[in-house]
Amino acid sequence: MNHNENKVMNAQEAIARFVHDGDQLIIGNYTVGTCIELVFEICRQGKRGFTLYSQSGIMDVEMLINARCVDRLVTTYVMRSGGKKGGGAVERALQAGTLEMEDYTNFNYNARLMAGMHGFSFIPVLEGVMATDLFRKRGFMGEDKYRVIPCPYTGKQVLTVPAANPDVCIIHVQRADKLGNAQYWGSMGSVAAAALCSKRIIVSCEEIVEHDIIQSSPHFTIIPAFRVDAVVQVPWGAHPTEVLGYYNSDRFFYGMFTQANATADGAKAWMDEWVYGCPDREAYIDHYSARYGIGMMDKLRAKAYYSAPANYGAAFTSVWDETGHNRVLGLTLEQIETVMAERGMLYE
Amino acid sequence: MSKGYTLNELLIITCAKEIKDYQNVILGVGLPTTAGALAKALYAPHATLMMESGIIDFQPLVPLNHIADAHSCRGFSYATDLFTAFTMTYRGFVDVCFLGVGQVDKFGNVNTTCIGDYEKPTLRLPGSGGAADFISYSKKTVLTLRGGQFVEKLDYFTSPGYLDGGDSRDRSGLFPEGSGPSMLLTTKGVFRFDDQTKEMYLAQIHPGVKVDDVLEEIPWELKIAPDLGQTERPTDEEIDFVRRFAPSEALGRQVATELAIAHVTERARARGKK
Repeated sequence: MNHNENKVMNAQEAIARFVHDGDQLIIGNYTVGTCIELVFEICRQGKRGFTLYSQSGIMDVEMLINARCVDRLVTTYVMRSGGKKGGGAVERALQAGTLEMEDYTNFNYNARLMAGMHGFSFIPVLEGVMATDLFRKRGFMGEDKYRVIPCPYTGKQVLTVPAANPDVCIIHVQRADKLGNAQYWGSMGSVAAAALCSKRIIVSCEEIVEHDIIQSSPHFTIIPAFRVDAVVQVPWGAHPTEVLGYYNSDRFFYGMFTQANATADGAKAWMDEWVYGCPDREAYIDHYSARYGIGMMDKLRAKAYYSAPANYGAAFTSVWDETGHNRVLGLTLEQIETVMAERGMLYE
Repeated sequence: MSKGYTLNELLIITCAKEIKDYQNVILGVGLPTTAGALAKALYAPHATLMMESGIIDFQPLVPLNHIADAHSCRGFSYATDLFTAFTMTYRGFVDVCFLGVGQVDKFGNVNTTCIGDYEKPTLRLPGSGGAADFISYSKKTVLTLRGGQFVEKLDYFTSPGYLDGGDSRDRSGLFPEGSGPSMLLTTKGVFRFDDQTKEMYLAQIHPGVKVDDVLEEIPWELKIAPDLGQTERPTDEEIDFVRRFAPSEALGRQVATELAIAHVTERARARGKK
């Protein structure tokens, strides 16, 4: 069954309803256009005890760990806030012993999502890592991080990873309709798989569009409505990361975060000001423009470079022609009904 | 007095009633797509109609020519691929699918591959297509039999119904619990499957059909519901929808083909061709 009604709500409601303490939480976006406002809202609500999945941790992962929401992390890449001096939230949490971690390669991590998306319990992966500590060092997953089986066709030893089916995915996209059909383009990464392998999906988007827009461009849809639990419209929802067709990365502001995040005190001050100090994205934008001037953001707005339209049209959308005759039979409805009656085809 | 209806219209409308609102539905070609269009228009506006080729959430405007017919609609919501359409079903996101039947046994197992010997068949039928996978994992499956036959033993076992009956389907561990065929619709009546034995029984007969007409096609002793009913009479609204959406199907393939040829011949003659 689906629940294809209007699923539009604000970030506060979406996170309160669909993200629970102790969940396996996955960040759908990869490197760009990440769901920053949804991450902020999780921090604000003080959720705890996540096992966090992220293909490539950037400020999203750092903030969730700064906010002490995460007990366990599955990833392939950890953001550093500059040089030997400044690490970041992951490093600090590992040093403090408050975070357990499992390291994968990009492909092998993504393969876990692909298996989960398609309903398989495991999937064969690229076996080169068997020579490395990626294979040998086991964190909280223990033996289940990687297992080796013989290929039934060649007899060769095959490396496998288990499927991932996180409880909830948070993801930012360019546009969606109110039913939840989510459209995304640009760097595809592991974005669709991250959403589709999950049990619940919260979509934030730059704009909510009419269903008709979706219907005339289904090749941009990465998540069908029947999989989606909440749709949150958040313009600038990925700032300071970038959204193709909407705005560029705010290098200055991202740099400010990176610098602050190099120390625990700096990170706390930054989070207090920008996350906890702003109840929602509008307040955050207001605060940004008060601090730096809205002109800073205006300069990041994308200029248009539209993809060529694809024609989804057919020759006709009715079996009746303009004169009311059936295109194949050449008869009107009345004439067809007469045939039915004359030939004794009708039951009363 | 309400409108007269054709047998095909009755079958399509009966089939459509198996689709409930908010369900995700895989449609096959022919009768099911018209049933799907009818359900979406009249009873199930929130249903997600899907084709196994990866066309997800479409509203049929004309009958489908095949299961990859994006010309049957004006756009759709999600363009995925066949692989994903099937794994979507495997993961339990599909509520209903429809399968045509070549041969069916008393436990709803289906043959759509061949009549006679597999290597040297009397009739070579299409094969599985999506059938074996869909009936395996869809929450429920509606079987339709128009030209097919009831048999004690299938000539080829294409698609799993309730296997040997009883709890054998669930016990096999191969299928989601509770899945399997929920109904078999034929030109004479509606068959359902007993909760315990999983053997099919006659649940309803179509108007004008006698129980003996049904029994003469069935090689085993068919069970009949104690409260055997008659298939519900279609409403004018339902009949009008089917007739306007797919007049060729309302008429049936044979009559429609005959009229279409007559039409083309007449047009050619009017233009001075022989």
